[in-house]
Amino acid sequence: MPAAGPLPDSPSALIARIAQRDREAFSRFYDAFAGLALGLIRRILRDPAAAEEVLQEVFWQVWQEAERYDPKRGSPEAWLVMRAKTRAIDKLRAIRRREKTFVAPVDESVTRSDEAPGENPGVAAEARGLVRSALNALPEAQRRVVELAFFDGLTQSEIARKLGEPLGTIKTRARLGLERLRAVMRREGQGAR
Amino acid sequence: MNRDEIYELAAGYALGTLDLEDRERFEVLLNARDPEAVTALREFQSTMTDLATEGSVTPSPGVKAALMARIDAEGLARDAVVRTLETKRPERARWPVWSMVLTGAMAAGIAAIAVGLAVSSAYDRRLAQLQHEAAAIKEELNRQQAIVTLLQDPATRFVSLGALEPAAGASARMVWHKTAGGLLVVQGMPPTPAGKAYELWAIPPGGSPIPAGVFTVDAKGTASLRVSPVAAGTEVETFAVTLEPASGVPAPTGAMYLAGKL
Repeated sequence: MPAAGPLPDSPSALIARIAQRDREAFSRFYDAFAGLALGLIRRILRDPAAAEEVLQEVFWQVWQEAERYDPKRGSPEAWLVMRAKTRAIDKLRAIRRREKTFVAPVDESVTRSDEAPGENPGVAAEARGLVRSALNALPEAQRRVVELAFFDGLTQSEIARKLGEPLGTIKTRARLGLERLRAVMRREGQGAR
Repeated sequence: MNRDEIYELAAGYALGTLDLEDRERFEVLLNARDPEAVTALREFQSTMTDLATEGSVTPSPGVKAALMARIDAEGLARDAVVRTLETKRPERARWPVWSMVLTGAMAAGIAAIAVGLAVSSAYDRRLAQLQHEAAAIKEELNRQQAIVTLLQDPATRFVSLGALEPAAGASARMVWHKTAGGLLVVQGMPPTPAGKAYELWAIPPGGSPIPAGVFTVDAKGTASLRVSPVAAGTEVETFAVTLEPASGVPAPTGAMYLAGKL
């Protein structure tokens, strides 16, 4: 669990140092969060080589744009996760558009269980089980909205059109889905300790 | 705005799915440090981060090695530009300094290449770097469809502009297409003095600088400038930024802040 205070190696402190072009801080930030980012990218992009390419893009962006990090808009981890997700979805769309490569439907990519080379087996298995369990605990309509949003990168308007539902309904499902997801993950996380 | 509405906006913001109008509404709340908005966003982002930790995957060592080499190459390139100008400039920047800029840009390129040769698969790395540059810039422009189209054109070029002495710490990138024009994005520039503006110049090989637009920077020293194409048949070799009167001038007169070669 990252430290909450302004310790020298806290994520916030590292980002501040990276903004000052501190190479060592960048190295530590990478070591701390590259696995997390690549795990997310691999959930969206199933090609390991493309995923590592995106990972490099994401961390290069961290190096170039650390000074633009705004704590008001979330933690460094959340900042990184959003960038990783955006980059991965951009890449996925580029692959679909340019190469017409077959890409598994969202449901399959979210629920697939094959092990990826290089995973941390213990941590990964525990986290994967926890998250899948939490996602499966959502009502189908809410789960669909969360997955389309997070793993397929659709905007709320796009989701509304895709599902043929009013925009207001999609907004409400996103809120309820995340609230429930949070409650489930918190409960199961406590139970696992 | 009631609690449910704030939480709906926060959920969409954390998921990254808000439409532009809703995102701007929520950012107004964040900028005002609305406690309910801040709390809701923190909770949802925490959930999103937990969601992202599923299946943490250890990257190949080559990813980090390539990043660190790239960082080192960038630093060497910047130092080379600054060193060249500091050692060769006899007095405050005057206009003929363009020749020194070209020398500096060449030195920067040589430094970058020297480092690149020391890295395995240098050619592949260079290709990946160009793709990364394209991707980083694309995010900043993703609401400008015309620019996206520009980025997708294989003839589009990407140029990093090095910071000169008056703008130490600044950086800039240019997306350039000789028939469609381009976009300049700058960061970390000094505040624009009253009555002044930064002016971009497109410089043909051996030719006179062509005015390419004026801009000012925001409180963070950032700005972007849409750049029109130069006259048909005119090749551009170098881009540079100088500080000039706010209305812009037909030929550069002020100190140079940024420069980079195509």
